[in-house]
Amino acid sequence: MNQRHSPPLNTALLLAPWILTFCVFWVYPLGYALFLSFTKYQTLTNTAVWAGIDNYRSLFRDDIFWIALGNTSVFSFGTIPVTTALALALAVLLSGNSRLQDFFRSAYFLPSVTSVVVVALIFTNLYSANGYVNGLLRTLGLPYPARGWLQEPSAALSAIMLMDVWISTGYYMVLLLASLQTIPKDLYEAAELAGASKWYQFRRITLPMLRPALLFVLVINTIKSFQIFVEIYVMTKGGPLDATTTLIYMLYVNAFEKPDMMGYACALAYIVFLITLVFSLFQMYLLQVDRAVGE
Amino acid sequence: MKFTAKKFLTLKRLRTTILYAALFAAAAGMMFPIVWMLLLSLREQPQSYSTFWALLTAPTSLLNYTETLSSDAFGLYFLNSAFVSAAITAGNVLFCFMAGYAFARREFFGRNALFISVLVVLMIPPHVIMIPLYRMMVNFGWINTFYALIIPWLVMPFGIFLVRQYVMNLPKDVEDAARIDGAGEWYILFRVVFPLCTPILTVLSIYVFLSNWNSFLFPFLFSNDEAHRTLPVGLAFYQGKQSIDWGHLMAGASISALPILTLFSFFQKQIIEGLTAGSLKE
Repeated sequence: MNQRHSPPLNTALLLAPWILTFCVFWVYPLGYALFLSFTKYQTLTNTAVWAGIDNYRSLFRDDIFWIALGNTSVFSFGTIPVTTALALALAVLLSGNSRLQDFFRSAYFLPSVTSVVVVALIFTNLYSANGYVNGLLRTLGLPYPARGWLQEPSAALSAIMLMDVWISTGYYMVLLLASLQTIPKDLYEAAELAGASKWYQFRRITLPMLRPALLFVLVINTIKSFQIFVEIYVMTKGGPLDATTTLIYMLYVNAFEKPDMMGYACALAYIVFLITLVFSLFQMYLLQVDRAVGE
Repeated sequence: MKFTAKKFLTLKRLRTTILYAALFAAAAGMMFPIVWMLLLSLREQPQSYSTFWALLTAPTSLLNYTETLSSDAFGLYFLNSAFVSAAITAGNVLFCFMAGYAFARREFFGRNALFISVLVVLMIPPHVIMIPLYRMMVNFGWINTFYALIIPWLVMPFGIFLVRQYVMNLPKDVEDAARIDGAGEWYILFRVVFPLCTPILTVLSIYVFLSNWNSFLFPFLFSNDEAHRTLPVGLAFYQGKQSIDWGHLMAGASISALPILTLFSFFQKQIIEGLTAGSLKE
């Protein structure tokens, strides 16, 4: 009955898989990456030569780094407001509709169960020179990139951003819809009786009640967006002319496609880590994790 | 009076129509690329289609599927994906259950500190450990083995978090009653608490299985040979090889997406719950 009677060996055994995973596959790599970020790492001879903050210093002088940071920021801050607004609109429209709600919810969630590689391949086809998107624009008499969206430096990033909105809207819609359904109905009934318009109700009841959920959605979307890689690898390999090179794509190229750049790549990894950490800490704060620990 | 009531009704009906039109348009937009993939995979002529009508009316054939499955090893990739995802799922169900239970029910020295390790790992973007983990796999001789694809991911911190929250909300009486009856701790753990955790372990399984089935980055880094490629990795390599042949490429994509889409059509509620639990928000 008293927990303290349970043998300590059992508890250790229960936690052993996690402790092992934590030490071997998280703590050690994290420390090793930090160490490597201060070295020149020779891939062939497997030797690391201490280089101080050289990697960090040359990173800040690297034009590609600033381009990648710019592209990643454009990607993140361009998609997030659109995704959130669409997700919010769909969630609000759906929440009043109980009849076909399950069908619509599933339809909007479809992209979330599909692998990003698969989605990226489909959109590569849609965006190609003679693909569906160009065909549509041609029919409508609108200008279109004749070489294809992903081949045009000025269009490629926007095309990937549009795809990402398509991928993630449904996911955040589901999160917001769940939160919407916790808002007490009588708030709306009272407003209705007082003669408040739907728009007024949305602004004065829905939005304030949804604020924590919206913040949460914004934060996790920011963390995810700063790590965009697979789409870039499959669709453009960072091109054309670095127009779609993001931070993690640059990290990948330096680590795995260039010789002796792993130390440099580790420095970049830590920079990206620090950027997302700010958002992650904010996320933990939103989830009130400190309370969860103390429970 | 009568007139305004009627006008009000028409307005309301108009509003409902517009609402449904918007919802259906959005649903069509979400399904369109998937339908495009499926149709393209069934077309023998490897040409590009610039209108939906042209694609819809082109002759149908299963040739792309038979070819990608037999000569292009997509059957093998499929089995690899299934094996790797299933193994990781089994590991997470067992190990996250054990750890989550310990955090929820046992009192031991350093419990809070150790639980913070779970939360800290949740905040680490996988890309930070990508390079050292790759070096580690090289040193272990695990590149191009299933070990590299499975072992690092057997205990996901998110799973521990989920189980811990769930067990904390379970009444203790059942365990205490079993203890009074003289049941041993391992019996209580696996015969009493484990069945009670079925709902949360289902959610966890769905999340782990789906995210590993679709996972690309680490399987891609850790396997260079065909024998250990999972579907997303196989697809990415296939694209490099066959960039023009969309029929085959989309057949490969469909082989990767269809099992999940089929599962999704049967278990929508559970899958949506499983995947959104990944954001840690109830």
